[in-house]
Amino acid sequence: MKMTPKRRLSLVAVVASGALILAGCGGSDSGSDAGAGSSDGGTAGGTINILTLEEQILHLDPQRNYTGVDLAFMTGFMQRTLTAYKFAEGAEGVTIVPDMATDLGTPNEDATSWAFTIRDGVTFEDGTVVGCADVKYGVSRTFAQDIITDGPTYAISLLDIPKAEDGSSVYKGPYVTEGNDIAAFDQAITCSEDNKTITFNLGRPAGDFNYTVTLTAFSPVPAAADTGEGYDNAPVSTGPYKISEYTKGQKMVLVRNENWNRESDDYRPAYPDQIVVQFALDPSAIDQRLIADAGEDQTGVTFAGLTPESLATVFAAEDPRFTERSVDGFDPYVRYYTINSAKVPNKLHRQAIVVALNRAELLTIAGGDFAGTIGDGMIKPNLATDYAESGMWTDLFGAAVPDTGDAELAKKLIADSGEPMPAITFDYPQTPTNDKGAASVQASLAAAGIKVTLNPIEAGQYYGVVLDPEQQNELNSAGWGPDWQNASTVIPELFGANGGFNLSQVDDAEFEARVQTALGTVDRTAQADQWKELNKFAMEQAWAVPTRFGKVQYLWGSKVGNAFLWDAYGSLPFGDLYVMQ
Amino acid sequence: MTAYVTRRLLTGVLILVLLSMVVFLVFNALPADPAALTCGKSCNPQVIAANRIRLGLDQPLYLQYWEFVRAIFVGRTYGSGSATFECSAPCLGYSFRKGEEVTPLILKALPVTLWLSMGAFILWLVPGVLLGIYASRRRGRWQEKVTLGAALVGYSFPSFFIGLLFLFFIVIRWQLLPYPNYVSPFEDPVQFLQTMILPWLTLALVFMAFYVRLTRNQLLETYSEDYIRTARAKGLSEGTVIRKHALRAGLTPIVTAAGLDLAGLLGGAIIIESIFSLPGVGKLAISAVVDADLAVITATVLLAGTFIVIANIVVDLLYAVIDPRVRLT
Repeated sequence: MKMTPKRRLSLVAVVASGALILAGCGGSDSGSDAGAGSSDGGTAGGTINILTLEEQILHLDPQRNYTGVDLAFMTGFMQRTLTAYKFAEGAEGVTIVPDMATDLGTPNEDATSWAFTIRDGVTFEDGTVVGCADVKYGVSRTFAQDIITDGPTYAISLLDIPKAEDGSSVYKGPYVTEGNDIAAFDQAITCSEDNKTITFNLGRPAGDFNYTVTLTAFSPVPAAADTGEGYDNAPVSTGPYKISEYTKGQKMVLVRNENWNRESDDYRPAYPDQIVVQFALDPSAIDQRLIADAGEDQTGVTFAGLTPESLATVFAAEDPRFTERSVDGFDPYVRYYTINSAKVPNKLHRQAIVVALNRAELLTIAGGDFAGTIGDGMIKPNLATDYAESGMWTDLFGAAVPDTGDAELAKKLIADSGEPMPAITFDYPQTPTNDKGAASVQASLAAAGIKVTLNPIEAGQYYGVVLDPEQQNELNSAGWGPDWQNASTVIPELFGANGGFNLSQVDDAEFEARVQTALGTVDRTAQADQWKELNKFAMEQAWAVPTRFGKVQYLWGSKVGNAFLWDAYGSLPFGDLYVMQ
Repeated sequence: MTAYVTRRLLTGVLILVLLSMVVFLVFNALPADPAALTCGKSCNPQVIAANRIRLGLDQPLYLQYWEFVRAIFVGRTYGSGSATFECSAPCLGYSFRKGEEVTPLILKALPVTLWLSMGAFILWLVPGVLLGIYASRRRGRWQEKVTLGAALVGYSFPSFFIGLLFLFFIVIRWQLLPYPNYVSPFEDPVQFLQTMILPWLTLALVFMAFYVRLTRNQLLETYSEDYIRTARAKGLSEGTVIRKHALRAGLTPIVTAAGLDLAGLLGGAIIIESIFSLPGVGKLAISAVVDADLAVITATVLLAGTFIVIANIVVDLLYAVIDPRVRLT
């Protein structure tokens, strides 16, 4: 999951459902019964006000939408997906339910093919029925990498479409007619004769592909309405709301989509009559407005968490004004340092770095308990099915490692390696906080006899630099959140041979074989067990050292119902919210 | 006069051309790479290279500049394959960050900044000059000290501090006004006034202080001139002396300062627009800088430069109107 500098929050997606009673056609009425996906019953009507410092929703285009909170917002209100996360607190909130599809999909025996049947009554906002061809067209847009930028590229990496010599797909998307292998795409995604069932043919086993399709990158787009770049400003809704007004830097208003058929959507309860997003607000003013809880702010929620300056006010004294309308919990991200195994090939050297770090100091610098907890792997506890303690701070390195680091154990590991410890250069995105963290890294490793040179990089350029192996150094700062609620988007991405974020430069055939086995496992419990083992193995190999399981804090207005921290996206469950009457 | 204005306008155009060239050069020299800033999580050298092509940054700088200038007069085509789209003239570029053409972005933001600037301008200039006159007439008395002291207080506080005080107390804590939410005055005049009153007052408080002191000082200096003494000796009333003789002579530096202050605000009141969430040119400019959005940065810099150039010409013309001794050649 992409984490932009401005938005470190998590998101949400949506869902819930209101299996309403409304018979017949367009469910533009306001319902009041929560459906299968919803966390709790609510009441219909009113306006939910979303306050944000952002100038705009980064991307409304479903194929370009990749930022957690934007996914949560769009899937909750406007963009239906084949499957979606249940609106629920805790582990239940990272389980999936059918949305646009009739069920959670049907894989073939080795999970290289997945079929989904689209429900009756799913329509675009103009009333046109959504069919397989529309989903297929939507997915095709991801391949137009020169126009559909910023979005997830799982369609390119997963679908069984050959690669050209330069490594790009031979299919170039729907906008190119010459030199474009359209047939390859047509074979990779097929539609049934009745245009109801879509089958994805994959290039490798993917036991969790039904989680993959929670991404809006696998959502339908009507070809006739596709304006390429311009679709980002005016996407066609398939959900219970549609855009009635959108002025970037100012306001967006969503109103009920009269062509949304409630009978086809038992996931979204669609309680409010209207959703208003107020953009470009001062972050401290947002906090103050929610703290004051007056007028329209009583139905206010935010995309981002509270600013550090407001945390003491909201959480310090168990203030009854806030206890029922605030939450402090995990965001989706693990903050960590990667150790480049190509440049630090000796495992004991990497372990020495891991055990020498003063993790407690790093957490304090990041903001203390509100910033997170010390991590023990690359899988977070809120990825509930796949998480297990790795034991890296208790016995994985032969001894317990205190939070302040163990310089003596590091020295012993270096001595045991029989080789001199290489000099370390630490790449990190430069911010005042990161500068302090880097100084801590330098000091704690120096205590173990490891010389560290700091390499601050302009924050906006950071990943562009370190993702280039020619420029990447031995130690790198990073952050990662799963693209969907399965460690298949963590372990393979961070340490796999084809991982998109393999900053550790892992090249381990045995590990890769185990990863591929896990990826192809359809049984979710069996797959989770494999991720737990692989996570532990990666930590033992010291390919990375988690510094923090990030946290986020939210406050909302006193008249907002169904607000909680939704682990699916680490945000509020926008699509499930209602206004208390 | 016509020749003078024509000459000044041509000079202004030349300045703007040079300004646009400087923006291109400076932007190119910045460490931030827009192609990297827009490439998302899958950011690797290949994606950055593709993005550079998409943004037109793979072209030599002189070609990029030529395309920019050409688009102003004949428009430009963006995109590729069947997903191309036209940016019609006058095309100031396309913001890939915001997903919109720059010209409409500017045209949407400009009225907000115009209303903000003009309202504040009136609020600071009229009371500022009147209080300056009042202070000059009460020289050495407690009224002068109070007026100047109050002005000094206003002048001492930065605009962001006064703005935040207004916002937190008047809007959030006491809820005397709703949270600023800009609408056109033609759409909802009440909401417009509710939104604009605090930004206007904030700017007025800061700027007015300067004009109180400036007016007072100019008038005190003028009062000692021989022609003022002569006017009084002729038996003219004090009001006439001030209005027709002292103030007219003392207005020149006030007009200069007012013209440039107004032009600066029109170019973008970045802090005030940010505090009060006003979607004006200043807010647009600051977000463009954060996003390294060259097209928007160039357009906002040119807009600000245009206002400065025009303000200078207008001020020079006003000199001749105010002071008959000035001749435009």
